[in-house]
Amino acid sequence: MDLPLFSACFMAFALTLYIFLDGFDLGVGILLLFQSDPASRDHMVDSITPTWDGNETWIIMAGITLFAAFPIAYSILLPALYLPIILMLLALGFRGVSFEFRVQTTRHRRKWDVAFAIGSLVAAFMQGLIAGCLIQGIKVLDLRFNGSVLDVLHPLPVISGITLAVGYTVLGGGWLRLKSNLLLQEFARRSLRVSAPVFAVLFGVACLYAAQIQPGVRSQWALHPIALSCLLGLFAIAAGALAVLAERVRAAILLILGLFLFVVGISGLAWIVFPNIVPFSVSLWDAASSSTSQEFVLMGAIIVTPVVLGYSAFAYWIFRGRTPEKGWEG
Amino acid sequence: MKLDPSVLARIQFAFTVSFHIMFPTMSIGLASFLAVMEALWLKTKNPLYLQIYKFWLSIFAMGFGIGVVTGIVLSFEFGLGFAHFAEIAGPAIGPMIALEVLTAFFLEAGFLGIMLFGLHRVGPKLHFFATCMVAIGTLLSASWILSANSWMQTPAGIAIHDGRLSVVNWLHVIVNPSWPYRLPHMLTAAYLTASFMVAGVGAWYLLRRKHLDFARRSVALGTAFATVLIAGQVFLGDILYGTMIKFQPSKMQAAEGFWEKESQSPAPYYWFIIPDQKNQQNRFALGMPYLGSIWLTHSLDGRVAGLKNTPRDRQPIMGMVFYAFRTMYGLAIVMFIMGVASLWLRFQGRLFTSRWFLWLLVFMTPSGIIATLAGWYLAETGRQPWVIFGILRTADAVSPVPAQALLSTLIAFVCVYSVFLGAFLIFTVRIIRRGPAEAASYAEASASLKNAFRPHVLDHVTRAVDGEPALRS
Repeated sequence: MDLPLFSACFMAFALTLYIFLDGFDLGVGILLLFQSDPASRDHMVDSITPTWDGNETWIIMAGITLFAAFPIAYSILLPALYLPIILMLLALGFRGVSFEFRVQTTRHRRKWDVAFAIGSLVAAFMQGLIAGCLIQGIKVLDLRFNGSVLDVLHPLPVISGITLAVGYTVLGGGWLRLKSNLLLQEFARRSLRVSAPVFAVLFGVACLYAAQIQPGVRSQWALHPIALSCLLGLFAIAAGALAVLAERVRAAILLILGLFLFVVGISGLAWIVFPNIVPFSVSLWDAASSSTSQEFVLMGAIIVTPVVLGYSAFAYWIFRGRTPEKGWEG
Repeated sequence: MKLDPSVLARIQFAFTVSFHIMFPTMSIGLASFLAVMEALWLKTKNPLYLQIYKFWLSIFAMGFGIGVVTGIVLSFEFGLGFAHFAEIAGPAIGPMIALEVLTAFFLEAGFLGIMLFGLHRVGPKLHFFATCMVAIGTLLSASWILSANSWMQTPAGIAIHDGRLSVVNWLHVIVNPSWPYRLPHMLTAAYLTASFMVAGVGAWYLLRRKHLDFARRSVALGTAFATVLIAGQVFLGDILYGTMIKFQPSKMQAAEGFWEKESQSPAPYYWFIIPDQKNQQNRFALGMPYLGSIWLTHSLDGRVAGLKNTPRDRQPIMGMVFYAFRTMYGLAIVMFIMGVASLWLRFQGRLFTSRWFLWLLVFMTPSGIIATLAGWYLAETGRQPWVIFGILRTADAVSPVPAQALLSTLIAFVCVYSVFLGAFLIFTVRIIRRGPAEAASYAEASASLKNAFRPHVLDHVTRAVDGEPALRS
């Protein structure tokens, strides 16, 4: 059995769930910046409050799977991405504590809302920046990081940072269409009309630019021109549908379309990076830990993940339907 | 002064992990305390327990939130600051933390929402189940993380080939020699922390003559828990001491403050020393005569082993280890005396009226957190210069990150965490000042799972109660 491949699949699964779930949380956070009405801001935050913690846990799952199953990749990537990861963690920190602190005060709630929104925005941007750095490639010598911590400051990472932040607001808009009251429906619609096309254009720009600067991307493109073009086409169609249909179709379909955009984006990224885990230098198998460690993680994942998904779904189900006007506590 | 990346990486890790551990210590203790309070409420139907529950729930929620966001930092920091440690230890530590995420973090996170916002939606019984799941999550989390840390203290179950570590026996890795003693020690510390917090707040209200029912019950419960727990903790600490002498003699040698291979006889018990690591001696030492022999060797004239038994390049820094241990041990003694005093006052019926004792309780409110921090300093500074005891030195474990980057992120961490702590303290003080709100008795107190399946109905009910139109599509 190819254990490293299975571990990589589990990691990709955790990361995808993180992007889906915390994606709309962060998107709602970013949209707070555009909402001037305090009561509406309360309502927006209320819509994600009961489940955000579980959503965020998937990024720890992905990170720790990297640590456990691919310690060599972990020890290369984290120093390489030192600055964006720390900024992301600090931003996620501000976002996370703001959930608790904003309800403790009415006078300074606005300030915590700003912390919430900026935290969400910076975290989203840094995650995109990290993805951009991976496509750009990491400098490695003898299985150690050999570049500078400032390698992250290049155009491609910055473009992909902005792209992901806009992408998350698409998810956030879809989420609000699904969960919010009548007053916010129009706000969510307007945000989707803007964010979906902008996301599609930025994504296209990022793809073209990546192909231009990274030979690894070009060679993958040359090898699988049809598949990758199809992915890009699907992406454009879904984004267009999202912007046009924002008025007409049911909210759940909009959110699914948004998530579909991300599935396409993540598959494209995975296609280009695979079978490397440190892009364009170290493969999954060269970075893997011993098989006993892989087995232990995978056994745990196979047994426990269904239970986790079960009660997480239960939690979502408890808080299903539109968010109550006065918050969940009534 | 030239900046040393290995020193900065250590300061950064020490700062972030110290800051983090304060909050889980509180959460572990408070989660179990809340579960007990809710159980008492369900059993007795006394609204006072619900009032206590709701009061501590809001403080718990803030502490838990800070614990979560500062904990995420740590799961990445193994690689950010100590990439070589991550590379070596990943195969052993990584899977344990992965299981921690799977079995504990998700459990806590999944049920936290229901615990904080779900009482109206799911009814009390299922809500109690959620509280218990969160409490169990904190215990599982503590168990895995203590396994991981204890493995760094007393590594077992592994083989090393060509500089790559592989696990030979998972049972030996997880149940490593120090874990069975360190886990109950940490859990008891967390419960003590919560007990003294509860008792401290109750004592403050009694002194202020406010919220008297709430205050009396808090003081009674807090001191009762604390008395039982500190008695157990002294016992657990003693067993752990014996284990660590066996596995990490250098730590305990440094913790007692003696340098010579054998101390004088009878040995004093030092409370204050000025150690001189360079010349391997104390410049000044103040202690109680005979007590060292009695406590440490259980005889009147026993000799205590000093740090010179450990080669110089394997010695921890005595001052840090010694004072960490004395802080923890000193607070434990005070806690023990207070436990005994509370028993005596309780039998005399003066537990709620002895102002000196209530004032002491107020001062001891944060004692559990300080003692726990000191205990971790003992464990971690005493393990130095190793990061994995006997296998990998801390100085060899650091990342290839320049000192300037480490310094600037350290400053950022200090600034951001100060905001978190400041806000937490301000809001906690405000919650305490505001006092517990009157707890309503719930109409749906009889229902259980049924409401979980009909939250919409409940929405209508609560809305109708609030006099609002039921707006629903």
